[in-house]
Amino acid sequence: MGFSVVSLIVSTLRMSIPLLIAGMGAVYASRSGMMAMGVESMMLFGAFGGVFTSYFTGNVLLGFLTGMVCGAAVGLLFGLLTVRFRLNQVIAGVGLNLFMGAITTVLMEVVWKSSGNSPQVASLTQAVRVPLLADIPVVGTIFSSLSINFYIALVLLVITQYVVFHTPFGLRLRMVGENPTAANTLGIPVRGYKYTAMLICGGCAGLAGAYLSLDQLNMFVQEMTAGRGFIVLVMMALGKYTPVGTVLAALLFGFADALQINLQQAFDVPSQLVQMMPYIVTILVLTFGIKHVKGPAGTGKLPEE
Amino acid sequence: MGKPLNKSKLAHSANTAIQSVGALLIALILGAVILLLTGANPLGAYGAILKGSVGSMSAFINTLIQTTPLMFTGLSYLFAAKAGLVNLGMEGQMLCGAMGAAVAGAWDLGLPKFVHLPLAILVGVLAGGLYGLIAGLLKAKFGANEYIVTLMLNYVATLLMSYLANGPLRPEGEINVATAPVLETAQFTKLVKNRGLTAALFIAVTLSVLVHFFLDRTKPGYEIRAVGRGRLASETAGINIARTTMLTMFISGGLAAMAGVSMVLGVNGRYIEGFSPGYGFNGIAVSSLASGNPLMVGVSALIFGALRAGAMVLNMTQRIRPEFADMIQALVVIFVAMPALFQVVKTRAKKPETEPAKTAEKKEAN
Repeated sequence: MGFSVVSLIVSTLRMSIPLLIAGMGAVYASRSGMMAMGVESMMLFGAFGGVFTSYFTGNVLLGFLTGMVCGAAVGLLFGLLTVRFRLNQVIAGVGLNLFMGAITTVLMEVVWKSSGNSPQVASLTQAVRVPLLADIPVVGTIFSSLSINFYIALVLLVITQYVVFHTPFGLRLRMVGENPTAANTLGIPVRGYKYTAMLICGGCAGLAGAYLSLDQLNMFVQEMTAGRGFIVLVMMALGKYTPVGTVLAALLFGFADALQINLQQAFDVPSQLVQMMPYIVTILVLTFGIKHVKGPAGTGKLPEE
Repeated sequence: MGKPLNKSKLAHSANTAIQSVGALLIALILGAVILLLTGANPLGAYGAILKGSVGSMSAFINTLIQTTPLMFTGLSYLFAAKAGLVNLGMEGQMLCGAMGAAVAGAWDLGLPKFVHLPLAILVGVLAGGLYGLIAGLLKAKFGANEYIVTLMLNYVATLLMSYLANGPLRPEGEINVATAPVLETAQFTKLVKNRGLTAALFIAVTLSVLVHFFLDRTKPGYEIRAVGRGRLASETAGINIARTTMLTMFISGGLAAMAGVSMVLGVNGRYIEGFSPGYGFNGIAVSSLASGNPLMVGVSALIFGALRAGAMVLNMTQRIRPEFADMIQALVVIFVAMPALFQVVKTRAKKPETEPAKTAEKKEAN
């Protein structure tokens, strides 16, 4: 039977990984007062960049790095469009998302002469065996079947929690997000903080995208992020814009995703119907879960000069 | 709008026109740069697009075929935007409309055409409208972010329609993932023999005039625009925000549904999975380029329809995907909305005495 608790937990954790990683990046962005509607496009370009480099070099690590750089580039672009050129954040997100969706398809044709997906490339195939952890009975089995990216996500969680809440940088970042005008008056370089936050956000989103294409799969597929970049934002709101809360919310989504995969394997239900589950969960969260959650007060605002 | 000076109104529309044309030009130039970087010949590519869109009568018919659904989704996005709502769910609403029309169009009730066709259209429009209403309801009653809800609903609709077209609604022995063919009595009258250009185009043109009239001259239209200008103020003025929001999303969904209806009852003759190359999302660009003017949606859709028709021909001769058209559209969406881009022109046209114009510009940007 494919329906066991252990496999459900493993796939929950696996499906959460991209959301955990991108979610940590999105926390920086939202804390700096950016809506980060472009996370989806950053993930998608990261996924593409990762496969591109892995295809030509055969080096997975380089692929992941390229994915991060690609994501960070789109992140910075989002920052420039919305801060420097004062573009509405929703429009910027929608525009970039459409642009990245289209250009990755156009580039796939140019590079691989194919439109739906890239050829298979070198990818991460091995799970990491953490010495002592792997020896614990049931828990060990779970942890030994997870990729290195799961541990990267955990490290990111610790770093983000520390940086955002326990460093001067984090304090200023939050001030920029809450009240950009006041921050500006105090001499905090508001734009610089927003750009930095977007670079970090893009880097994380790019890594999350590369996880999809180089770890979960071993190729790039058209529109492979499938809305995760927007789901991340909802989960982050559910987690009250805190790193720990975001992780917990991402696990909830991961569970919904894992459940649908396990249901498909265990019972003879039409795959399309169970595949709706993560999206419906997101809509339910959006409707009932985050009614009283307020983002940083200065979201979308620039300092008045 | 009170009675603004004619002169400033003229300057305003001149400016939006400049912004639109400028954005389109920049998008095309950037598109050429990207083509150049990928090793293609941009002049050759644009030449092929021109030839494939307006180079011959047959090419122009293709352009008009592509224009029709774009007009509907463009009107759909524009309509929601008037109420300050961002409807990104046109794709899903369109699929619902298409499926509704396909099911009703295949009913063999022995109805004459003048009953069956309107019935099929109505079922499609209702399906899409109700699907749009879900997002409106969640927004009005629970404050759920309409753009993320509509985006998520796109995935749900795509999966649901895929299930229907693969399973219960797929006729025995059908090779394609498609529903049963629509009866002759439920098909749009073809304007050109054996081509997909149908009377749906006239419906699109009529609807853009109706939408203009509705928004500009009727009470609910006024309320929709008032809510779009400021929710708090309109609430104080006694406008029922929840009802207006739901009405807007219902109509917006219905308009998007017409794109699917026109494809099923006009071009394909049934619901075929994957029939839309993204007409729903293209509506955003169509509405942006028309800068929120329903009467300009036709022109805007014609431009993007030509681009898409040309890009499809381009794909046959060169290794450039038709998604190239989507890329240009995405750039247009970004550049049209960029307030700082054409500041020089704007400032000059608005206030010749320059100095105070700068602050006004900034306020507008926020």
